[in-house]
Amino acid sequence: MKLPRLSTLCLAGVLVFLYAPLLVLMGNSFNLSKYGGRWEGFTWQWYERLWKDEATLTALMNTVMIGACATLGATVLGTLAAWCLHRYRSPLQRVHLVLTELPLAVPDIWIGVAMQLFFVSIGWELGYGSVIAAHITFCLCYVTTLMLGRLQSFDFQLVDAARDLGASGPQVLWRVILPVLGPGIVAAGLLAFILSLDDFVITFFVSGPGASTLPARVYAMAKTSRSLPVINALSTLLILGTFLLALAGHRLLNRRTS
Amino acid sequence: MIRSLALALTVVTCCQAQEKLHLYTWADYVSPEVVAKFESAHLCKVVVDIFDSNESMYAKVRAGAAGYDVIVPSSYMVSLMEQQGILLPLDAAKLPNRVNISASVLEKVDDKTMRHSVPYATSYGVLAYRKDRLKDAQATWAMLERPDLKRKACVLNDMRETLGAALKFLGHSINTRDEKQIAAAGDVVIRWKKNIAKFDNEQYKSAIDSGEFVLVHGYSGDLFQVVSENDQVGILFPKEGAVMACDEMVIPKSARQPALAHAWINFLLDPAIAAENMEWMGYLCPNTEALKKVSPEFLQNPALKVPDEVQARSEVIQDIGEDLAKYTKVWDAVKGTR
Repeated sequence: MKLPRLSTLCLAGVLVFLYAPLLVLMGNSFNLSKYGGRWEGFTWQWYERLWKDEATLTALMNTVMIGACATLGATVLGTLAAWCLHRYRSPLQRVHLVLTELPLAVPDIWIGVAMQLFFVSIGWELGYGSVIAAHITFCLCYVTTLMLGRLQSFDFQLVDAARDLGASGPQVLWRVILPVLGPGIVAAGLLAFILSLDDFVITFFVSGPGASTLPARVYAMAKTSRSLPVINALSTLLILGTFLLALAGHRLLNRRTS
Repeated sequence: MIRSLALALTVVTCCQAQEKLHLYTWADYVSPEVVAKFESAHLCKVVVDIFDSNESMYAKVRAGAAGYDVIVPSSYMVSLMEQQGILLPLDAAKLPNRVNISASVLEKVDDKTMRHSVPYATSYGVLAYRKDRLKDAQATWAMLERPDLKRKACVLNDMRETLGAALKFLGHSINTRDEKQIAAAGDVVIRWKKNIAKFDNEQYKSAIDSGEFVLVHGYSGDLFQVVSENDQVGILFPKEGAVMACDEMVIPKSARQPALAHAWINFLLDPAIAAENMEWMGYLCPNTEALKKVSPEFLQNPALKVPDEVQARSEVIQDIGEDLAKYTKVWDAVKGTR
């Protein structure tokens, strides 16, 4: 009797610790007070201001666009990488595995600085292209790791069976492999999208004129902007969006495929 | 065939209309209406990117981010960028409106002849107080030592600003290279530190607004907002003089649109435009003609009413090169003192 109560208490404590700050921020996005120290009444005005804030919406568009491209690139490359790593066990593949997983261990700031130096030294102009390339790089390792896990439970006899029954290569891919791995791929893609959406450090280094993403903009606004509650409103929407995406990803990842 | 031709035509016309000016500046530092007016006058699109500190902007531009057409750094950073040779010399012929720039501000910045930079806006490091809880407020830095304000005040967590305030309090230049003077200023800040609650750069606005603190040291541009919303907050321009910040418009050599960049700078120096712009952002543009055009209510904001003698005694932070280490040493000592 005692243990469940203790664990419930722990759970509640952890949830409060994790989510209370977010709730305060969400509450403040409806606060009439500009400085958020006191509650001065309910308002939608920060959301209205956000709606009219063209630069912030452009940054949001940039973020979504970059996120979509990075997701596409990272999902395709990551899935292919995972497939190779799972199927072939040569020494070369072991190097491949280490190289793929390395960005998980390297601090973001190193990746950011290194990429900036790299892009500048090869003369690739900092902008959308450099941000997308950087995002693909760090999303790739997450997608690969996730897909490797999915492939553990993939029954390769299905492929043999399909071949045996006369399916061509493309048919096996379309009719057997993709339907079975599909939910995993989508879940990995969603994770990549969320990672790309959230990234600040790497983007900070590799973004160029006109290509700043939302997190970069929020960071710059938080220090000197006089419309801080607009950031609260925006963060509230982003938290909700991220939450829904994470929920969808979770559902897909756990879906039983037969 | 016709369709593809039409498509090509739209693409071409669209690209002509989409000539882009990339502006790199602080958050909320230019009126969106002013931007819209410039866009329709010059048939272009202005893309505004923002930075949070001179240092992060410098790191980015120095590392090779090309394509920003106009940047608005603070004056000491302008000198540093000029020394590094990354600024384009301005073409005076394309900037006829620069005659509007106030001479009294120009004499305080490094680039007095506007060779590569044009002053954009000024603000001061000042004190703000609660009128309802502090009766005998005096415009002096000595306020920070008042025993009745113990734990109820804060100063900026900014080396040059806060040591600068202490240097002014002692009657020295904020750009002094004399180690003794800097050490003396450090001792003053240590005295302040024992009295105040904390060093703070962001929360002081809400702290003075809600009354958590009675006296705060902050930037007049930020306090402009607080004062216009809360009439219990007053501003003190310390009589010893204050640290003045001047942000200036520059064009980096890596700009793609130098002609359009000149047009932008000249546009912002137009008296009517500058007046509209400063009323929106709440910072004073050092534009003599524009100041005649702004509404009287705007100039009534206490955060903008700089007494002439304080302005005369105020200084702009300058790049002091290697001597900066002297400040860092004293500041570290201040921060380390318990």
